[in-house]
Amino acid sequence: MVEIDDNLIGKDVLEMAFERCIKCSTCKYSYKDFEKSCPSGEKFLFESYWASGRIRIIRGVLNGDLEWTEDLIDPIFACTTCGACMDACQAPHADYIVEMIEALRELAVKNIGSAENQKFLVSRCEDSCNPYGEANSDNSELKEEYELPEKAEWVYFIGCTSNYRQKSLRDSTLRFLKKADIDFTLIDEHCCTSPMIRTGQLTIVDEYMKYNIDRIKKAGATKVITSCAGCYKTLTKDFERFGNNLDFEIYHSLELVKKLLDEKKIEFKSEYNKTVTYHDPCHLGRHMGIYELPREIYKQIPGLNLVEMKRNRNFAWCCGAGGGVKIGYPDWALEISKDRLEEAKETGATIITSTCPFCKTNLSDASAHYKFDFQVLDLMEILDQIEVLFG
Amino acid sequence: MTTIQQRNVFERISKDNVYSKLVKIFGRDYVSDKDVDLYPYSQDMTENKPHMPDFVVIPQNNEQLIELVKFCNEFSIPIVPYATGNNVGGLTIPDYGGIIVDFGKKMNKILHIDDNMMYALLEPGVTFGQLKKHLEENYPQLRYSFPNAPPYSGVVGNVLLSGMTNLAAKIGSMADSINGLEVITADGNVARIGSCFYGKDKADDDSWWCRYPMPDLLGLFVNFQGMTGLVTKCAVQLWPKEPIEKPQLVVFFGLTDVAPFLREVGRADIVNDVAAFSVEVAKMEVGIPEPVRYPEEPPYTAVVPMSAKTENQMNAKLEILNNIIEKLNNEGTNIHLIDYREFAKLFNLKALNIFNLPSQILSLHEYSGLTWFGAYAPSHKFEELIEKTDELYRKHGVPPFNYLKIMKGGHYGIFRPIFRFKKFKDQDKIVKLLEEIADVCIDLGCIPYKTPSWITAKLREKINPGWLALFEKIKDCMDPNNIFNPGRWNT
Repeated sequence: MVEIDDNLIGKDVLEMAFERCIKCSTCKYSYKDFEKSCPSGEKFLFESYWASGRIRIIRGVLNGDLEWTEDLIDPIFACTTCGACMDACQAPHADYIVEMIEALRELAVKNIGSAENQKFLVSRCEDSCNPYGEANSDNSELKEEYELPEKAEWVYFIGCTSNYRQKSLRDSTLRFLKKADIDFTLIDEHCCTSPMIRTGQLTIVDEYMKYNIDRIKKAGATKVITSCAGCYKTLTKDFERFGNNLDFEIYHSLELVKKLLDEKKIEFKSEYNKTVTYHDPCHLGRHMGIYELPREIYKQIPGLNLVEMKRNRNFAWCCGAGGGVKIGYPDWALEISKDRLEEAKETGATIITSTCPFCKTNLSDASAHYKFDFQVLDLMEILDQIEVLFG
Repeated sequence: MTTIQQRNVFERISKDNVYSKLVKIFGRDYVSDKDVDLYPYSQDMTENKPHMPDFVVIPQNNEQLIELVKFCNEFSIPIVPYATGNNVGGLTIPDYGGIIVDFGKKMNKILHIDDNMMYALLEPGVTFGQLKKHLEENYPQLRYSFPNAPPYSGVVGNVLLSGMTNLAAKIGSMADSINGLEVITADGNVARIGSCFYGKDKADDDSWWCRYPMPDLLGLFVNFQGMTGLVTKCAVQLWPKEPIEKPQLVVFFGLTDVAPFLREVGRADIVNDVAAFSVEVAKMEVGIPEPVRYPEEPPYTAVVPMSAKTENQMNAKLEILNNIIEKLNNEGTNIHLIDYREFAKLFNLKALNIFNLPSQILSLHEYSGLTWFGAYAPSHKFEELIEKTDELYRKHGVPPFNYLKIMKGGHYGIFRPIFRFKKFKDQDKIVKLLEEIADVCIDLGCIPYKTPSWITAKLREKINPGWLALFEKIKDCMDPNNIFNPGRWNT
């Protein structure tokens, strides 16, 4: 076994890559459904672009068989880290495959840098605390507009995509929380660090995590809600993986909606007479195991005709945005989404819904680019369009 | 083990010129000479020594391959066919460099299913999972014979290498059920073999229905490990799917009780297959992670897929099976029959994977390495094989992982010690054991399949000179410049 730098966050999973995976390639198809599931492998084809190939690259760069050259950039970074490989793989290391890829990226960033443009995720954060490079909003205007207190039981962690690119989703969520009489506030957020972790650029991650935790604590919150699947996964899983102990609970907005429905504190009153198909966000589905909860909510909306795409739940085809692909390989990100839109078209749905602003962004971009006629809406936006009785 | 000799692939043409030619044939996106892309093809799950290819190409049609073969033949550049690389024999490791032809990514189409004559015409990259899905969705009345291989393993590769099936007790190896092949030979000619041989240009889809009775040229490509040409199409037989299925579990309390059982059941013609495992393997299949055999535990178990057209037929088969066990137990064995579905309820649904092939076999993908001595075996030597390998397992402190089958109505058997291992930790220990087991099994007459070159070197010491001379003549005739997967069978 080779010595692996103790300072690497991914040290443990890099070690695991040496003693797990026989390259049986079960990771290449959805297990027992035998459908194509890996956007990266299907696009670039060579073994180096599939999960088992990347595990071999880990071994190769660590044992010296492979030199660090720019040739490694695409096999390492052209992957949405959607986790379809994790779901297909039946071996004991299955749950760690994406972490292995992220650890490989951590190594790559130290040796050859990241994929084109991905470095801007960090530099823009350093300038303005969000990866979009937008002037940082401390959310004070929103607090004022929605008359939010300084301290509250809940913090709504908006997330950068909702705050700077999908404001309709943000505003729908804010209105829902207000109407539901949730005691919540906003904080002056830094990026949750998901884009940095996914692309192996970890320099600011620790500082940002600690900053956000500190802000949440200062707001007196014991619960954090987010409408972003990426933030949700990062807050729930990565904060602890990076050594942070959280003393607050994390909720995705749909979990709160379901809770309120179950407690009969809300009721959907008006009809939404449209055919809708649900796209499972990778960060909520395969990474967090949440598949049925959103469907249970959609099914309670009167008139809403929920139809399934051919590949759904753990077999869902990725939207193409994740893992740094949207910024690193923008054209390919749209291509991946096109596959999904074609699947959605087969269902007869006019609306694609999701619970992730990043999926919404990429699916919307692809719908416009390839001239599909879909409306892409988040659950919270649909709820904003119907009459909800708040008890 | 044999030492791999270096061969200068680029004596007569520069690597740059080869790359340019490949790009011209296949297109830039389908050729790579980058180390990072070549590296995963340089190795497999086994102990066989890695070696880098010089290029990997992804073909899409025969025209490209014909041009490639002619070019490689002119410049003596090795061509190594690759479908998914799951052969457990190091057979796609390019021992002499050259060009990996990755069929798995684009030449992976199911070209035709013939419901009438029950066969499937496949490109080389079709996987078992793909075929299973296609049949279930479009031809639910038909079935294929699946191995205990991962779902992403290639059908055609496994067929050409005489792989196992879960109809083995009835039909024998996969190679026994090939109807026909299309191959590109070293001179760039395309030959169709089998009943598809009529027709100057192309064969009709419904003409791939039989292998005989013309001279059986198909044998020139079966078990040759890609040394005689590139197979581009393969027709394999399908079977009617029987509606009644009752999988059985058999446990054997005497070390060698499994041997007479396999022989008797094989000739009774009542089961589709019998896959007998050391109990350590069987325990892992039902989710018990520790491969340990405790005192009083049965050393062997067998899973027995049984199917029938009616309940009455199934009951008759079960009656025969019970009678066989009763007879053997009266003669001194201690064998018990259990309804597998009832047994599986005690564990988890993954226990049913073994009857729902192709599946991931849980115990085999635990670590980073997997190898075997997979061999066709004289079934009357099963007792000796079990006893002698058991001693070797104990000597090396490795849990027994033996796997036995009876084939084709009891005419022969399979004896396959399997080893999972950590490549970077205990490979040397496992290889030592594997080598000793190989020696014992070969001495007892076993003939390994999907054989790595270090074991074919052992075989060569024992094979009659006439066979070797004929084999060498055929290889030389079929591939005078030794471009097709050189190094296999020590060529």
